[in-house]
Amino acid sequence: MNEREIEKQVVDPLLRSIWAALFFTMFAILSLQAHASAGSGPQPAQPPIRHVFVIALENKNFSATFGPGSVAPYLAETLTAKGALLTQYYGTGHNSLDNYIAMMGGQANNQQTSADCSKFADFHQTGTAPDGQVVGEGCVYPPSVKTLANQLMAAGLTWKGYMEDMGNDPARESSTCGHPRVNSADLTEEAEGPSADVPLGDMYATRHDPFMYFHSVIDLPACKQDVVNLRQLKTDLASIATTPDFSFITPNLCNDGHDSPCANGAPGGLKSINTFLEQWVPKIMDSPAYKKDGLIIITFDEGGDGKIEKTATGADVTIYGASCCNQQEGPNLGKSYPIVQRRISGRGLITVKTLSFGGDRTGALLLSPFIQPGTVSNVPYNHYSLLKSLEVIFGIHEYLGYAGQTGLTPFGSDIFTGH
Amino acid sequence: MRLCLLAGMLFSVVVLCMAGDAPVTALPGNDSQLSPRAALGKKIFFDQALSASGKVSCATCHNPADAYGPPNGQPVQYGGPDLKSPGFRAVPSLRYILNHVPAWNHVQATSPIEQLTETNEVPAGGYTWDGRFNSLHDQAMFPLLSPMEMDNRSVVELAKKLSSAGYAEDFRAAFGKDIFDRPAQAVEKATEALQAFEMEDRSFQPYSSKFDDWLDGKAQLTAQELRGKKLFDDPDSGNCASCHLDELGANGAHPLFTDFQFEAVGVPRNNAIPWNRNPHYYDLGLCGPFRRDAAMNNKSWCGLFRTPSLRNTAARHVFFHNGRFHSLREVLVFYVERDTNPGKWYPTGPDGKVEKFNDLPPRNRSNVDTTDAPLDRRLGQRPVWNDQDIDDVLAFLKTLVDRDVGTRRETQAESGQSR
Repeated sequence: MNEREIEKQVVDPLLRSIWAALFFTMFAILSLQAHASAGSGPQPAQPPIRHVFVIALENKNFSATFGPGSVAPYLAETLTAKGALLTQYYGTGHNSLDNYIAMMGGQANNQQTSADCSKFADFHQTGTAPDGQVVGEGCVYPPSVKTLANQLMAAGLTWKGYMEDMGNDPARESSTCGHPRVNSADLTEEAEGPSADVPLGDMYATRHDPFMYFHSVIDLPACKQDVVNLRQLKTDLASIATTPDFSFITPNLCNDGHDSPCANGAPGGLKSINTFLEQWVPKIMDSPAYKKDGLIIITFDEGGDGKIEKTATGADVTIYGASCCNQQEGPNLGKSYPIVQRRISGRGLITVKTLSFGGDRTGALLLSPFIQPGTVSNVPYNHYSLLKSLEVIFGIHEYLGYAGQTGLTPFGSDIFTGH
Repeated sequence: MRLCLLAGMLFSVVVLCMAGDAPVTALPGNDSQLSPRAALGKKIFFDQALSASGKVSCATCHNPADAYGPPNGQPVQYGGPDLKSPGFRAVPSLRYILNHVPAWNHVQATSPIEQLTETNEVPAGGYTWDGRFNSLHDQAMFPLLSPMEMDNRSVVELAKKLSSAGYAEDFRAAFGKDIFDRPAQAVEKATEALQAFEMEDRSFQPYSSKFDDWLDGKAQLTAQELRGKKLFDDPDSGNCASCHLDELGANGAHPLFTDFQFEAVGVPRNNAIPWNRNPHYYDLGLCGPFRRDAAMNNKSWCGLFRTPSLRNTAARHVFFHNGRFHSLREVLVFYVERDTNPGKWYPTGPDGKVEKFNDLPPRNRSNVDTTDAPLDRRLGQRPVWNDQDIDDVLAFLKTLVDRDVGTRRETQAESGQSR
């Protein structure tokens, strides 16, 4: 590491921390009474949240999930009535993995993460770029690249990743800190149906488990205690002492809505999302930790916005790639939009036109004792906003990657209307 | 050596067969390691008296000494009352896969755009070439009752044979004194016992090949074998490992050399199968004639068969679902020259054109894979492998032959035996 890099890593965050401290001090002084804020700008008054649960779901447009006739009524109606609906929440890329990395590490999309890393290959860093971005290509970031988990541990706080199905088939991944062997094929790209040896099947997808893509996490012995099967969550919710300060929950490929139908024959899509949330959200909301000072964030990795036009030989697909919040492309894509790619498949010639690098509008739903039921916020947010918000909530004023982007707005009083 | 007359393989994985004088070489593991049910299943597996001819058992076609594969190079085996009824498909090996075959499934991405842009949406799983059985005991019922195989005309007839077998007391001890008073249940229990034997007996998964020793650090592959593996793995060359997975599992599990997915490779029609004398008869795999569920309605699946394991394939004498090829070298040459020199493999039609993929009706020939290397070449292009490459890949595939099978092959070669 040269002096400039040291300065970048040590001094810049320090300055940011100082500015952030000043900012929030002023904020505390000037804070307004929280109120329902549809259409109003963010009012960053921070409630004393100490237990956060992120539930990451897959590939849904805002309108499909929260619009009229949603096939996930528990989410779209029951939970929305209890919490805060963020109508302008955006994913940060396509396909899945780059979004998860943005949520927990603030790193921007690259060619491999955008394509979901079918090979679990090390990221080869060739440089650095503004906003803590690492330049290079690959999937598993080097130890110097930190995540929210590292920040929490440094702050003496606890965290866990709860991954449904992880370890069901130990030949694919272990039951804790489960990932493919580094630099080998990722067999978890495909869901595995039930078999004699694996009666429940295995629909864990490494690409939906953000922590696995950082050596700063997977190289730690703590990874085996902190990234565990979802089954553990029920036990951990029993008391405040056993509930981590931060929980990241990824359902399997069926229950996160990615697949439909699923490898185990379940319907998948929004139907299975609905069932999963009906099962787990009440458990969390009934937990002592949530009741005391909890926050549930239900979000989606990317939107499915786009257009499909059938042609004589196949189909033309347009992916919008819309973004918000002055999202930056990052240093590693190097693409000139629109991008046109063609491939031949069983469905004929598929021409895919991608208009931009964003992840399209998904919406998100937040639940908390500090949120008035029925709150709606039209303030734009994205996964980098989420990361910054989590850092703010936990008193971490060193923002990772694009969470430190100038002018990025964290969740504020437009959401925490019950504070 | 007299030719064996063999029972047919209609639906099968567990088939029967082997007539006459050549005794089946039985090499399963120690009975003391088996549960009582599995020990009973072993006796049933080898019982020729359960067939109408009295000359075939499961082990006849699935010979333990041939890695539970066919004991000869016939494309299909013969069964029925007089061993003259031909089967429909080549006998697969039972080694390695039985505990791992996932239930038949067709996973799709929920997002219509991802359905078009993701590359892998083929079905997977299920027992037999067309995946139509989700349990081994369901599958085992068919050869027992098939007129082309063991030819029991009813469960009553089969239960009567079981009740007079030498192991009938064991059967009663396991399933009740009056079990034979309920013929349907008795036969069901017999198939469950067969399943238990196949799942428990270590001879179905010995992991004793040179490749396994190499993975365990107990053997060295030669330079030629390593070159062959590299060609096997290279996605731009043989690309074999994209379906025949060959990497260690996350827990160190040795690979099975199959992904259990379905594929149409366009194997030429085999006129040596008696059924193929009817020009209107086609074996369409997922589309029938034996599969009768909703899968057969998906016309894009006509011609797809489940990818077999390549373990012990170098010891076989018959390849692909229709047994069209009789040497592994020929198979490898077919893969790399199918499209560069199709006239070598397919007949020329009345219009003077080569009838590629002639084992499928013209309307289904577009289902054949022409997009994945090495099946994406064009007429006149240079094949991805030359003769030396093929020698190298063959050398690698021979490392997948289990010790007991390889030893038997060498013994036969030395004694001049042939099949």
